[in-house]
Amino acid sequence: MKKRVILFFALLLSLVTGMTAITSTTAHAATDNSLTKVEKKGTLVMGTSPDYPPYEFQATVHGKSQVVGMDVAVGKKIAKDLGVKLVVKSMSFDSLLVALQTGKVDMVISGMNPTPARKKSVDFSHTYYQGGYSIVINKNDKGIYKDKDSFVGKTIGAQTGSTMYNESKKQTSGTKVKGMTSVSDLILALQSHKIQGVAMEKPSAQAYVANNKELAAIPSNFDLSASDTSASVAFAKGSTALVNKANKSVDQIKQQNLVNKTYLPEAGKYLKTNTVNTSMWHYWKAFLTGIKYTLIITVCSVFFGFILGVILALARMGDGGVLRTGLRWLATAYVEFIRGTPMMVQVMFVYFGLGLIVNLPALTSGIIAISLNSGAYVAEYIRGGINSVDSGQTEAARSLGMSGGATMRYVVLPQALKNIWPSLGNEFITLIKDSSIVSIIGVSELIFQSNIVRSDTYRGVAPIAVIMVLYFILTFTASRILNYFERRMQHD
Amino acid sequence: MTKPIIEVKNLAKSFGKNDVLKDITEQVNPGQVIVVIGPSGGGKSTFLRCLNLLETPTSGEVDFDGQNLTTLDTKKVNELREEMGMVFQGFNLFPNMTVLENIKLAPMKVKHLDDAAATKLAHELLSQVNLDDHADAFPSSLSGGQAQRVAIARALAMNPKVMLFDEPTSALDPEMVGEVLSVMQELANQGMTMVVVTHEMGFAKSVADKVWFMADGYIQENNTPEEFFSNPQTDRAKDFLSKILM
Repeated sequence: MKKRVILFFALLLSLVTGMTAITSTTAHAATDNSLTKVEKKGTLVMGTSPDYPPYEFQATVHGKSQVVGMDVAVGKKIAKDLGVKLVVKSMSFDSLLVALQTGKVDMVISGMNPTPARKKSVDFSHTYYQGGYSIVINKNDKGIYKDKDSFVGKTIGAQTGSTMYNESKKQTSGTKVKGMTSVSDLILALQSHKIQGVAMEKPSAQAYVANNKELAAIPSNFDLSASDTSASVAFAKGSTALVNKANKSVDQIKQQNLVNKTYLPEAGKYLKTNTVNTSMWHYWKAFLTGIKYTLIITVCSVFFGFILGVILALARMGDGGVLRTGLRWLATAYVEFIRGTPMMVQVMFVYFGLGLIVNLPALTSGIIAISLNSGAYVAEYIRGGINSVDSGQTEAARSLGMSGGATMRYVVLPQALKNIWPSLGNEFITLIKDSSIVSIIGVSELIFQSNIVRSDTYRGVAPIAVIMVLYFILTFTASRILNYFERRMQHD
Repeated sequence: MTKPIIEVKNLAKSFGKNDVLKDITEQVNPGQVIVVIGPSGGGKSTFLRCLNLLETPTSGEVDFDGQNLTTLDTKKVNELREEMGMVFQGFNLFPNMTVLENIKLAPMKVKHLDDAAATKLAHELLSQVNLDDHADAFPSSLSGGQAQRVAIARALAMNPKVMLFDEPTSALDPEMVGEVLSVMQELANQGMTMVVVTHEMGFAKSVADKVWFMADGYIQENNTPEEFFSNPQTDRAKDFLSKILM
């Protein structure tokens, strides 16, 4: 089961939970209105991390890319029984539980196992699937490895922080365990002989072996408890009415053995359609979407970041009077704080933290977070640029009767802009690359899209090479355009 | 008796512990050309910059056209600055604009002239300083003398009542001093009120109505040029003149 717990995630969770306690606009109030809320809006929003076939993955259905897999089938069943429409929201696995707690999604179905630790923060349904673990190896090594105990002196790979990872460490001796965040990367490591086996769930192992002739699966023979291998639907804490209703659907799924009889074979079909053509050209639409969102985020963030940067720079240069001193102090604190915290945390904070007050879509949150971040850096460039303009320019303008504002706008800022243009250009190009960070909240920009293509095609390197070239084309074009304007501004 | 256009009362200015201007009380009448001379570091530039409040006086009063600038709000000061053109030692042309744009900027942004009117005005002024053929040049391509003449045209574009000159020829090569001084002389002949800080004694002798000799933060002498140069009263002035007039 996927059970990645990253330190900053835990921190963010506690921060968000703290804010939840302060603000009264929480997703789960004391009274349980979970069921009526879903029924009233007519949709059931399911959060999932679609990089885990056959549980959930991206597939092209009737020319359109969508999330499919057995978990989606489970979600559809629950929604149908409730008489509402299912809406699938993609995001990274790390973000799922926060999304649940902040009301971004109504439930999480993502191959998640109901561990005691998770039960403290969310409510789980009955389990809808009981799996087991396999170890994927290179086909050529088939005779050498039998199960987990055959890897003495060798290396097994597993998803970092997952149950597989912990159990591989606990239940083997003399074996090195290598952790990586994505299964696609692990398979790549396996094929390049950096590791000798990858521990993963049986259905996933079967999917990989079916789609890659070079691979084979062997039983793991791990000694596991039921809660480590079962999958459940997660709901926000206290939404008992909704859980009870979902349990009825889950029990039916179990009784009729729907997962094995219907859902998994269906998912298998999608996997096949997916892997019929693993050429990168086949996925040009996915990459195009990625470019589109990368550009939208970058251009919007540069625009708003610049405006914010000018305001911050002017505030930082203000002097005299309580108000101006206060503003200067605030702007300085803001710049220092933003520069002193990772952009990734800022993105998550805006999406989940601000999400408690206003429900912002992921794209908007991403643009806001990156603009706020960029503004702090741009402010410093602009401040330097303004200081680089000779004070005689200001004096000349003021002596002509121009106000302080007009002097800044018509005389100082245009010259400052010219001086800092190369730095601003750098910032723009950095943003094209750094915008990739919003992939963690599920905005389908280039990195996010490439991850989807990777898990769809079971090809580890090709999509990376493609986006590398795409990023370079974007940044190179941008730097040519910036150079053109730089030359146009040269008068001396 | 004519009312003075500039009246300075007990003006003092210090930078930290350094008292640059100590106690200055003088007045300038409309149409007068005042030349301020004196040794370097005597406070001449600071005095000039106090007249249009580019420097805020530490104490005392600067009255312009009957209004005490030191008590007015920023908006009113901006309005009165329009009427006091200033020309700087370092020209301070806007390097990112053409000559024409340099002159048009303030009339358009402050007086809200339309583009056609501002362009017409700029061409007239450029003709007046004999530079109309350089209208589309950028300041970096001008010689010092040309740049300073553009700066004078720029200041004149606001139709000021008074022109302040802060060592307008000090940064120029010697062969360019003449062209700037002749533009200034022309202005004086047209009746412009001028306060000029300069080291050009020839200009002071031939153009000034009054010479103010400034040293140690005071105006030590205020006299006609004939009287001042032939018959200085103070030892400070005698000493200064003996050094510059061989």
